[in-house]
Amino acid sequence: MKEVAYYKGCLASLSAKELDISTQALAPKLGIELRELDSVTCCGAGDIHEAEPDYYLHLNARILSYAEATGCDTLMTVCNVCTLNLRQANHQLQLDETLRERVNDNLESVGVPRYSGTIDVLHFLWMAAGTHFPQLQAAAHKGLKGLKIAPFYGCQILRPSKLLGFDDPDKPESLERIIRACGGEPIDYPAKIKCCGFPIIQAREDTALAELIQPIEQAKEAGADAIVTPCPLCHLSLDAWQSKLKKQTGKDFQMPILHLSQLIGVAAGLTDSELKFKRHVVSVGPIVEKLRV
Amino acid sequence: MKVGLKIWRYDSKSGDKALREYEMDAPEEATLLDCLDIVKDRQDGTLAYRKSCRMMICGSCGMRMDGGAVLACKTRMYDIAQAGHVPVISAMGNLPIVKDLVVDMDPFWAKIRAVDPYLKPGYDQAAERENVVSQKQMESIHKESLCIMCGCCVSECNSMESDPDFLGPAALAKGMRFVGDPRDGATVERLETYSEEHGLWDCTRCYFCQERCPKGVDPRDAIAKLGAEAMHNGIDRDMGAKHAKWFVTSAKTTGWLRETELVPKTQGVISSIKEMKFAMGLAVKGKVPPPFPPHVAADVHESRALFDLVKEQGRDGALGIVQGERALMHLAHDAGGTDGAYGKGGDYPVPYLPEIDKPEPKPEPKKESA
Repeated sequence: MKEVAYYKGCLASLSAKELDISTQALAPKLGIELRELDSVTCCGAGDIHEAEPDYYLHLNARILSYAEATGCDTLMTVCNVCTLNLRQANHQLQLDETLRERVNDNLESVGVPRYSGTIDVLHFLWMAAGTHFPQLQAAAHKGLKGLKIAPFYGCQILRPSKLLGFDDPDKPESLERIIRACGGEPIDYPAKIKCCGFPIIQAREDTALAELIQPIEQAKEAGADAIVTPCPLCHLSLDAWQSKLKKQTGKDFQMPILHLSQLIGVAAGLTDSELKFKRHVVSVGPIVEKLRV
Repeated sequence: MKVGLKIWRYDSKSGDKALREYEMDAPEEATLLDCLDIVKDRQDGTLAYRKSCRMMICGSCGMRMDGGAVLACKTRMYDIAQAGHVPVISAMGNLPIVKDLVVDMDPFWAKIRAVDPYLKPGYDQAAERENVVSQKQMESIHKESLCIMCGCCVSECNSMESDPDFLGPAALAKGMRFVGDPRDGATVERLETYSEEHGLWDCTRCYFCQERCPKGVDPRDAIAKLGAEAMHNGIDRDMGAKHAKWFVTSAKTTGWLRETELVPKTQGVISSIKEMKFAMGLAVKGKVPPPFPPHVAADVHESRALFDLVKEQGRDGALGIVQGERALMHLAHDAGGTDGAYGKGGDYPVPYLPEIDKPEPKPEPKKESA
């Protein structure tokens, strides 16, 4: 068992609870023991990085500090945006001693332990496709019975690659590797590395929807039974905003969207109450039916 | 070495389009541009592409290799040829193709012009002597100053693909180059303009620009700096700015994002009411968590205290991003290596880390002597 500090982020605590529930149920099967952090806040989601960048750095330093205090060497995330924000802050704090000292003085003065820079921030995807792949292969015995799955990476797990770096940003393979290991057939399509539009879906809905339709339409045309994504923000836009695409374009895709933990979870035999498919806006029923046959 | 290329040929006048394959002998040090020269000289004189300096300075030879924008003169072919890979070469994206690999740069230049890419000091003539600026002050916009306007960042910009009027990464990074210039006297006016529709809040944060830029400008970070400067100057009417502000409010009140209140806080109450039907559809699936009782993080008082503390220390606006660049520089251009694009260290931007807590103030625009 690899013990990791677990940072679930805002969405998995709120509107995407199914991501947290399925991750907690799945992790032990992959040899990962989660130690959930209590005293942590939002990573700022790129918004605080833009609005109050110095505060962004401190908020993330605080999360890293509490992760370090658990004694683990890894902070596991389940969201692309959290991953980029935390890794960016972590690199800044690890590589710039002057900056780290200043931030640590500030942390200390409000009662947070100093951060010495020992944490590695890893997304669950990278653990499942990397160090814990053998356990995944063993756990995914129930299989996806050849279901056609379209991998959708989302932006901030690929770019900027100098901060992320697990996958080739233009030819990522980790999701495909997992889909195959789970007995599914990965579908290839150009938009799998593009943006889902989520960061501007409220402020610039038309632009965001023009981005969102690309992966869903392409995956549908390529014959996908479902899309899988490692990011709850991508999940929310792909799943919940499909109805807006229907309203705008008349196209009713009915494309089920799975969290990565749910996809592996299905293959690893998680129960309905651990998968929580009923929390999805677009019904996952058709693929559940296919798997039952 | 043997090099193979598949090149998308295109003629905008006839509309003819074809993927042609070429094979050539090239020296081991050959770049993509060298290989295109060989094709044009020895095999097919009708191939059209732009070039000038051949050394990553002029920004003429931006094009796509396997779908990603590169400078042809910066791309060495050795490893690709050794791997037996035959890459597909095509024109950059998000700009109209004139012929083969040549794009019409007019829309690109129109956006650069739209950000007023020149110094506006706020006076016509310096009063007594030149306006001397310290090296340190200029270093804070060093990265933005490195832009060679090749268009690689624009090529894969996801927002621009969906909204062709989006100012885009190159123009906005150029804007930051002047917003951050201590000699410029039009900061507020610029930030107002850049914050309009199709401006800085239209960026979808796909980070393609950051990935593609061959010069280390990091345009997405430049756009974030513009956002930070806009907020710092109280220019926050745009929905994008309100969206960002709500995250700050959330972090210092409950710690976690107050997700359900994000829509009215961003779009206003009236627009939110129009979204009621959509919201109800999500609510039945538990996607609209009730705001009461709030989901409060443990020890959130620490997060509040941190906010007050950093505000007192005054590293507001772009400075908060610039301060982290010294560390990120180690990762610039080919992660892991200390060698940069020219095969030695030191060719990447050297960012500015202020040693004092507050930035040096901008010099007051001097009035013309009476």
